[in-house]
Amino acid sequence: MRDRFLRSMITVAIAATSVSAVVSMLTTQASGQAQVARPATVGGKPNFSGIWQANNEANWDLQAHAARPAAVTQQGVYPYEYARVPAAPVLALGAAGAVPGSLGVVQGDGQIPYKPEALQIKKENAEHWIDRDPELKCYLPGIPRAMYMPYPFQITQSTNKIHVAYEFSNTARTIHLDKVEGPPDDTWMGHSVGHWDGDALVVDATNFNDRSWFDRAGDFHSDALHLVERFTLMSPDVIWYEVTIEDPKVFTRPWQIAMPLYRRVEPNMQLLEFRCNEFVEEFMYGNLRKQPLVKHWEGDTITIDITRKVPPGDLFYQWYGR
Amino acid sequence: MRDWFSGSMTMVAIAVAAGASMSVTGTSGQAPSTSATAPDPALKTPWGEPDLQGIWTDETDTPLQRSPKYADQEVFSEAQRAELDKQRLALLRRDRRVERGTELDVAGAYNALFMSQKRTGARTSMIVDPSNGRIPPLTPEAGKVAAADRDFRLALLQATETCKRQSVACNGGKYDPTPSPRRADLPPRYNTARMNRHDGPEDASLPDRCLTIGLPEFGAATGSFRRIVQTPGGISIFYDVGQGQGWQRNIVMNGSPHLPAGVRQWFGDSRGHWEGNALVIDVSNFSPKADYQGSRENLHLVERWTRTGPTSLEYVVTIEDPTVWTRSWTVKQEFARQSDRENRLYYEPRCIEGNYGLPGLMRGARMEELAFSEGRGPNPATKDGATDFVGVEDDPLR
Repeated sequence: MRDRFLRSMITVAIAATSVSAVVSMLTTQASGQAQVARPATVGGKPNFSGIWQANNEANWDLQAHAARPAAVTQQGVYPYEYARVPAAPVLALGAAGAVPGSLGVVQGDGQIPYKPEALQIKKENAEHWIDRDPELKCYLPGIPRAMYMPYPFQITQSTNKIHVAYEFSNTARTIHLDKVEGPPDDTWMGHSVGHWDGDALVVDATNFNDRSWFDRAGDFHSDALHLVERFTLMSPDVIWYEVTIEDPKVFTRPWQIAMPLYRRVEPNMQLLEFRCNEFVEEFMYGNLRKQPLVKHWEGDTITIDITRKVPPGDLFYQWYGR
Repeated sequence: MRDWFSGSMTMVAIAVAAGASMSVTGTSGQAPSTSATAPDPALKTPWGEPDLQGIWTDETDTPLQRSPKYADQEVFSEAQRAELDKQRLALLRRDRRVERGTELDVAGAYNALFMSQKRTGARTSMIVDPSNGRIPPLTPEAGKVAAADRDFRLALLQATETCKRQSVACNGGKYDPTPSPRRADLPPRYNTARMNRHDGPEDASLPDRCLTIGLPEFGAATGSFRRIVQTPGGISIFYDVGQGQGWQRNIVMNGSPHLPAGVRQWFGDSRGHWEGNALVIDVSNFSPKADYQGSRENLHLVERWTRTGPTSLEYVVTIEDPTVWTRSWTVKQEFARQSDRENRLYYEPRCIEGNYGLPGLMRGARMEELAFSEGRGPNPATKDGATDFVGVEDDPLR
């Protein structure tokens, strides 16, 4: 095993040497690890290859929002919208169930230009988040959501294809640089055709179905969704990612989101599995078990009671008795 | 259901058409190993690595194990291939049924229209080592584990029509009108195959749960395609397999060691490097929940991918697990490059998004239990909700 490892290190080193003769090199410093040679260009175009991840709150809500106690809330003591408290499904998660605030990623006035009837659907989606968000069911995330979910993704850039592999749900898409026409059916992940605009990669994405969402706030689209994505390297480890979103069935005009995507620079970084369909079996099918694991399935309705026994050390009032 | 199928079914239809019309004189099944031949410079990427890119599949059908009737014959004669092609062509689009009105007839929900029949391959088995073309014997311990698993499955079937009629699905078991008390037991090990019980998702097979294993991948009647994309120092492979249960594989090429032993994955951990023109990938860290022919967390693969020509790619994998087999064994396949255009939908891995099958099996079982408790139906333990295809699979290659 050790021999094989040493041999492969030498092979990598030799490969790196021969590559450097052909293209200008960008060497990522990986302290204590094999040097990973990643040329700055592939076929004369900027090289986006590597593992990337958004580091923002867009998957919670694309629009500007203050932090809130939970993604699902219920009325507290006061009847005010701003005084709601976490609802039972996430109550036991404490602060980990809360939604972090954000200035939003929607460009311009920060508003998503919903048609009036579509805005009503978005509001209902938010109220029924647990029932409706495809992320909770481990469904394919769609684009652009897969680009800013809190999971890494890997770009493998060749000269005629760019493969993008997403950790969430083991999904992927191919960006065709060679103008492959779209499929005869709609899809979750869309059909992506790319071209170069100078040093920017521009991707036209179509053939979407109407089932994926933009975020956990209920923002949605129809099967008329058309995206134009623009990838620009701000620095070797940061991509500026902009998307123009067009969907005449849902929005009154095209609108834009934009955000940085950061390289995962850890020397041992690799995509791991997140095969979540296994994780959601109880959520999806628990009502069909012969012996329910969760005891409060009534028909097709799961009723979640939260039981949390306060650990002895957390009973602060007891300290006064000492 | 439509979502579940549309992705790969298109490919199956294409594969069927290609198989039926392919010339019998094609030699894609006999591409030589190229480690010895001079590399074609056109088969290099612009940055100088061997170019493995494109969509690849095995365009012929070769059985994994050699039928004992061919003994030590490694390659079919042209006359044998022609005769097998003739027999197998006759199976295309057939609608063979088992005895009508039986449970097994209803369970055969697929007929040959759903299956691809490709031209018979050149070799009598995909296995090239050992020389008899067969999987090596199990170790005694693995034999006991397999027997315990089989006994449990047969116990769940013992009170059904399947055993009463002595179907091959009950081989090794016996009919007993009294349901087995083992129906309430946990399986002897984590279940990965369909069983005659649907108490919860864990009783279902991994494919029924959209949890099909990834490696090794030798193809199935529903098609098996892989798209390879390379970049300097990186390789991604997307597998379109299992009726939309596609998955992506990112080969770690930086010379670093495997993941820590405690990190286990359904698809393992793939570490690659180049040896001359061959991409060599070492795969380990498999999950104890993934099962290949009885091998689980100790499965270890060493793959060699070699471009052998403009439209051909050779794939050789050595499979070892000393806790399961008495020796390692090696499989070889020859892949042919596929059209980008005809396969432009292939990589959409949607399964759970339209999985009506799994909840349907459980809902059906609950309804049968309710009917029985109200005196409206038979004891569900006397019904077979697991066996399918029995008596339908008559492909002489399988």
